[in-house]
Amino acid sequence: MGVFDTLGISASGLLAHRKWLDAVSDNISNINTATSTNQSAFKERYIEAQAVDYGSGEGGVRVATAQFGSGEGRVVYEPKNPLADKNGYVRYPDIDLGDQMAQLIMAQRGYQANLSVIDRATKTYQAALQLGKG
Amino acid sequence: MTSPISALGFATGLPVTGVGTDMGVGTTTAASSTQGTSGADFASVLASSLDGLQSTQSKADGLALQAATGDLKDVHDYMIASNEASLATQMVVTIKNKAVDAFNEIMRMPV
Repeated sequence: MGVFDTLGISASGLLAHRKWLDAVSDNISNINTATSTNQSAFKERYIEAQAVDYGSGEGGVRVATAQFGSGEGRVVYEPKNPLADKNGYVRYPDIDLGDQMAQLIMAQRGYQANLSVIDRATKTYQAALQLGKG
Repeated sequence: MTSPISALGFATGLPVTGVGTDMGVGTTTAASSTQGTSGADFASVLASSLDGLQSTQSKADGLALQAATGDLKDVHDYMIASNEASLATQMVVTIKNKAVDAFNEIMRMPV
């Protein structure tokens, strides 16, 4: 434990939310990635966050792992697509753009909240250092 | 708990209680102030805290270099490190000023 622990703990929150933003941007960028039906579709990426035990002397959050959704996707009839099979079908990832936008808002707000904590903690520490100067 | 400051657990292992016992700064009780010279002297306290400050600042410097060369992976890493370096500097300067104030106060004592 250090003096300015809040900064490190909030930094771990920033890192987790930054990775979440990365995952969402990856999902949105591949939302129209077509594959042939004999291959798996683009797999939606999820970030698995895990609390760091405060009893260990260290607080915060860490990204345990990145999980992937189903590669089954949805099969779309697109006979003109060069990737289409002999029946005219291709595979698209089954990602809901509305859900991704909602996750984007949550990740962004979470990132901003951690930044606010850092800002407020810095002001608090500075106020403590002013103690007895008046 | 000898001092409320020691409860915070300084990252540098800064024995701030030494300031309280030797210099009379802080909120030590009469019982602990009778320990006299048992605490570390102020020069070594200041030296170790400056070492801690040095490492904090060199960490921020390294991240600033990474930002300049484009190797920085996270923007917030550098911003937090520079913020922490600034706070640590303010803290060490404050402790130094307090100790010098206490010393001057004693020097002004009529003999």
